[in-house]
Amino acid sequence: MERRGFLQAMLSRPIALAPMAGLVLGDLHAGLMLAPPLELLWLGSVTLGAAVPAQESLGTVSITGAAVLAGRSLGTGVTPAICVLALVIAAPMALIGRRVDWLGEWTNEQLAKRAAERIEGRNASGAVQLNLWGLVLPFAIGVALAPIGAGIGALAIPAILQHQSSLPWLHTHPAALEHALSAAWLGFTLFSCGAGARALRSKRAQTLFVGALVAGVILFSLRGLRP
Amino acid sequence: MKVRSSTLARCFWRSLFIQATWNRRGLQNLGFAYCIEPALRDLYPDPEAHREALRRHIGFFNCHPYTAAAILGGAIFHEARTAEGTEPPTASLAYKQTLQGPLAALGDGFFWTALRPLFGALAALGALVIGWPAIVAALVLYNLIHLVLRIGLFRDGYLKGDAMIGDIARLSLPLVAERLRAAGAVLCGLSGGLLLARGVGHFSIVPAAIAAGAAALGYWALGRGARLLPTMYAVILAVTSLALVASRWYGSS
Repeated sequence: MERRGFLQAMLSRPIALAPMAGLVLGDLHAGLMLAPPLELLWLGSVTLGAAVPAQESLGTVSITGAAVLAGRSLGTGVTPAICVLALVIAAPMALIGRRVDWLGEWTNEQLAKRAAERIEGRNASGAVQLNLWGLVLPFAIGVALAPIGAGIGALAIPAILQHQSSLPWLHTHPAALEHALSAAWLGFTLFSCGAGARALRSKRAQTLFVGALVAGVILFSLRGLRP
Repeated sequence: MKVRSSTLARCFWRSLFIQATWNRRGLQNLGFAYCIEPALRDLYPDPEAHREALRRHIGFFNCHPYTAAAILGGAIFHEARTAEGTEPPTASLAYKQTLQGPLAALGDGFFWTALRPLFGALAALGALVIGWPAIVAALVLYNLIHLVLRIGLFRDGYLKGDAMIGDIARLSLPLVAERLRAAGAVLCGLSGGLLLARGVGHFSIVPAAIAAGAAALGYWALGRGARLLPTMYAVILAVTSLALVASRWYGSS
């Protein structure tokens, strides 16, 4: 609801929502692990005019929920491999959320039409209160869809990781898939930084991004080498 | 004719819901009528005049949700004069129609594509370095700026009407926005640098190089117009496959 219908205070952005979802599910650490790359990935997800972007809020809650529940089911807590699988499985919820937003626009249109008709009636002030009904559908859809995305991930991720050694190629290296997925998590987090820089439609953004990346590698590598 | 302070406060509070019924036909039409209704009730005690004023404001309206506060304040300014009889009823409509486009563009350009991404990137880097306190600090700071500007725009619109435009122009928001975007890009780069430095420390060189290479290709593809999620899947698939191949050939992980 906060994303479009009320306030727009960044509380529905991945950077706030992933830790909140993690905290609610009892694993703040998982939320903090997912929040920065998801925020950067969807940094450009903004409603400009009539454009309907991917529903990053629904995607974030589904991904975080899937990761936390899968980590709990496996007894390992949330690992990079679990994060990347949660992302692969639950990220499409953001696109489903966009479709739902289109539906919400249609129902809002009906509400606006009804309000215009009711203004002609006895209670003109009450007619505009229909505006608040526009908050109901986004809330209901979020409550209904986020657990579905999280649930699918929570079932699929343990199944994949527990049976990885039975996959062809992997029987000689039982943990190879987990290691490969951890590397994919690194690849994803780096990609998300690039996606964030691309979303900042500035002439100098790309030069500054690459320059800061190189400076960051040097700076943080040196910090890591300190005793 | 003055509108009571409590009524103005109620109008501002309602402006936080201006997009609750955003729709493709009237956009924020019902939202705007909902916001201005308490002021119209004060200004037009006669039910028919009140109804007529509401009819004026349920027509098409679209603006950025933050900068719409300035138009709401200005529309109340003009409605107060209409209620006094010093302006025609069309004055507030003309005001809305003239300003909604420019203020929408200004709000989108400053808040949505500069200030909010900057704070998103700042919070992300802060979370990687410090943890949750950095996220809380970034959100508090963002909302302090956003709410001060939102309240200021509403107040300015109500007190000055059309003269508010000069105040907004003096803020030089497009210029500030370009600087904020540049700062945001730097923060994204620093986050990438931190993650890469940590990744090289955590993995052996082969998987770290594969991850960095695939991410760089994904970054290049986005610049060529590739879509975000398909590119993300391609990056993940490429790194996973190549890391599996590498682990089989070199026993590397």
